[in-house]
Order: sequence, then C-alpha cells, then structure tokens
Amino acid sequence: MSEPILSVHNLVGGYGKMTILNGTNFSVPPATITTIIGPNGAGKSTVFKAIFGLLRLREGKISFAGRDVTNLSQRALLNAGICYVPQGRNIFPELSVRSNIELGGVAAGKGLDLPARIEAALDLFPALRRKSAQQASTLSGGEQKQLEIARSLLLEPKLVLIDEPSIGLSPLMVQQTFDILKSLRDRGVTILMIEQNARSALEISDIGIVLELGQTRMVDDAKRILNDPRIGQLFLGGAMEESAA
Amino acid sequence: MSNLFDLLVAGLATGAIYALVAVGFTLLWQTSQTINFAQGEFVMLPAFLMLAAMHAGAPFWLAIILGILLSMILLGLGFKMLLVDPMMRHGVLPLAIATMALAIGIKEAVKQFFSAEASPFPSIVPTGDVSILGHAVSLQSIGVLVVAILAVVGLTTLLNRTSLGHQMQAAAQNPTVARIIGVPVERMILLTFLINAFLVALASLLITPIYLAKFSSGEVLGQAAFIAAIVGGFNQVRGAIAGGLLIGVLDNLAAAYVSTQYRAAVPMIFLIAVILFRPQGLLGRAEERTV
Repeated sequence: MSEPILSVHNLVGGYGKMTILNGTNFSVPPATITTIIGPNGAGKSTVFKAIFGLLRLREGKISFAGRDVTNLSQRALLNAGICYVPQGRNIFPELSVRSNIELGGVAAGKGLDLPARIEAALDLFPALRRKSAQQASTLSGGEQKQLEIARSLLLEPKLVLIDEPSIGLSPLMVQQTFDILKSLRDRGVTILMIEQNARSALEISDIGIVLELGQTRMVDDAKRILNDPRIGQLFLGGAMEESAA
Repeated sequence: MSNLFDLLVAGLATGAIYALVAVGFTLLWQTSQTINFAQGEFVMLPAFLMLAAMHAGAPFWLAIILGILLSMILLGLGFKMLLVDPMMRHGVLPLAIATMALAIGIKEAVKQFFSAEASPFPSIVPTGDVSILGHAVSLQSIGVLVVAILAVVGLTTLLNRTSLGHQMQAAAQNPTVARIIGVPVERMILLTFLINAFLVALASLLITPIYLAKFSSGEVLGQAAFIAAIVGGFNQVRGAIAGGLLIGVLDNLAAAYVSTQYRAAVPMIFLIAVILFRPQGLLGRAEERTV
C-alpha cells in the first residue's frame, strides 16, 4: 500500500468531561474512498471534527501529507488541502447558487482564479449550472448536497471529509452523489466518508473502517468488511466481542 | 392634494432615516443575535459628539467626521467588546436587557454631562424650498432622502455584489458552516457593528436638525426603528428599508389626518396588526428556532 495521505494516531478527546475518542488510530491511503462505519455514539463525526480542528484533542496527533496538522485553524487546513462537508444542510439559503460556490474560495486569498474554478465546479454539476442564478434555498435536498460538494471542490482539495452525504436523499440522488465521489477519487482526490447507509457506501469504497466506542475496531478492504458476518451484528446493536464469542 | 404630497415627501424623508436605523438593527440581529434596545440612543448620541467637537472649536465638517469616527469606536467596537461579547455568553435575553440598561445609561449621561435642554443642530442641507410638480418641497426633505438612499444603495451593493458582503451574509446565515469554509466570522460580525455605528451616526446627522439634539430623542427613534424592523421582517435588510419608509409615511399621515396626540399610536396599532396576521413581517421569512 502507498504512503498514507492521512493518519490519526491515538486520538483522545470529547465534549466537556465526556470522552468520545478513546485512542482512535487509522490511516487513509491517497486516491481512495474510505468509509467509516459504526453504531451511533461511536465517535464517527467526532473524528471528523478532530481532524478539522473543531475539537480540542487531549491527546493524539493528526498527520496529513507528511505534515503535522493537529489543531490547525480551519483556514490553514483548507489551504493545506483538506475540506469538510458536515452532516445535514450546510448551504447559505439566501445567497445564489453561484455565490454559495464562490464562497468556497474564501480561504485561498488573491492568487486563485476564482471564475475559472467556479466554471470547473459547475461543469461537474449540470443541475447546479442550470440553477446558478437562483437562491440556494430553492434547490432540492440532493442538489443542496451537490452544492456543498461543488463548494468544497473550489480549493481543489486533496482530501474531502464528508459526513453522511446520503442522509435524507432519494435512492436516485444517493446513487448520483456516490457517482460524484467515485469520479473525484478517479481524479486523485481522497475521500473519507461517514455513512449510516453502510452497505451502499462500502460497495463504492476501497477501504472500510469500523469504529466503536471511540476506538478503531477494524480497518480492512471494503469488500471484506461488507462480507463480514460480524458487521451486520454490530449494526443490530451487539458489540463485536459478543458476536465473536 | 398639495397637502398630501407634502406629507408623503416629509414622511418618506423621516422614513428613510428610520430605515437606516432599522437596517442597522436587523444587521446586528442577523449576525450576532443582538437585539439592541439602545439603538435609539445610538442615534441620539452622535449628534452630541458632533456638538461637543464644535464646542471645542472644530468646524462643522470636521465635527461630522470626528462624530462618525467616535461613534464607530464607541458604538461599534466598544459596544461589541465591552457589552455584547461578555453578555452574549449568558444568552440573547440577558444581552437584550443589558442594552436597555445601556440606553438608560447613555440618556442620563448626556443629560448630566451635556444638557437637559434641546440644542439646535446645523443641517448639512441648505434650508429653503424647491418646486417639484408645482409643489414646494423643502430641500431638507430632499437632502435627507438622497443621503439615506445613497447609504442604503451603498450598503446593499456591499452586501449583495461583493465577496466581502457575501461573507458577511454567510456568517449571518450559517456561522458554523461559514467557519468551516474559512470565512473569518468574528471579523464579519465586528464589521456589522461598525456598519451599524456608521448608519446611526448618519441617521443622527440627518434627523437632529429636524428634531433638535435632546437626550430623550432616542426613545421615539428607537421605537420607530424597532417597529420598522419588525413590520418589514426582522431578518431582512430590504424588509427594514420598506418598514422604515412605511412607518415614516404612516406617522406623518396619522399626525395630519388622525390626531397629533395619537400619532405614535398608529404605527403601534399597525405593528400589532402585522404581528397578528403576518408575524414574519411583510418581507421577512419565518424562522425556526428551538426554545
């Protein structure tokens, strides 16, 4: 396997006195889709927040492209090539679709050829191009997710952290969104994804990571995780130890 | 008929000033959930700062610049750092109550250290009338309208046509996501406080020649701007503009056709009607908030 683009070492942290991450370890090879699965409360979203500098870590280290990026500011992380698409609706409803995308370039400063990047982003999403002058609030749920992805691509990130992209989308839109993620991977972008919809997510993934109680339980080829009988068990509520016993 | 035309022009002029104050009010609410009950006093104070500068020997133009700058420092930066930031940690309501205290504080301080009497204030527009469509219209009204329109057009251009404005809107509409994509949210919030301070100083400059500089004049102004903001839609700049103009006209028509004594009641009745039948305001959008 090639040198990982992202590695997290022994992350410990949480909210207030509550510890969510309990020594989380994993690494992600470049130009892959890696999906993190695990039961509710496993710390999946919290890992993303930790990577993106939104959670003060008590312990641990995050390396990205050979560099220590632990607790960097969001702007610094964006400029290093990481972007984050959180769960839920993350658009600016009263700005136009085009302005929403344009805001993705804010962190870059002057050097960026913004109009060209916006055009490139709109090329990937024909639906957004058709509606680029409309208020973003008029988009459908799936289009709003596309808008968030388009916005995150403006800085040409090397790593996209995407949390539950399929939530609330129709099966067709989920398929479209996953196709976009696959095409990004084929262009060399690394995708790290959290998905409740574990089966379909693992089907398009190269690697799967199973997280439980803030610890990494398993890192393996996505297909193997998909076929692992213990995984179904885990999602039905039982812990891995119980099913193994 | 002539009377109605004059009333409309005068109403629009006052309304344009209300609009400036209401726009600042909604901007603060949108970006920082600050309900500034001292907004009226914020309009009253800059005139006194300008008068103080003139008493110290500054010419009028210099006093205007000093007044606007001082307002931006005191009512923009100072207000945010010394009152809003520390109080915000305790919630929206304690902050709103603190602004009421600030209103009383500013009012009493002006009464104590300046004067309890009304002071005349020079106008930036020459006095006199011009004839429009056969009606004599005061230059004062026209000047006020022109300056207020320029300010509003400038502000909406900034908000809607520039990257900085889009960043300000992003910070207001969804601060968490704005931060995630690299918008300097704190700086954008500070900017809205400075813009609000500029708008109230401008409003002060425009309205004080008409109503005189008096420590208590903020009460009426703050109330009018508050009603304007709510009527127009608390979360929309264009709503605040429409609300301001509407209240200005209504106020003037009520004074002429209903009764000067009930002048202030008419906008209030209108406010109640709007809250009853269109609680999001004429141009506002419904907001969802968990309590």
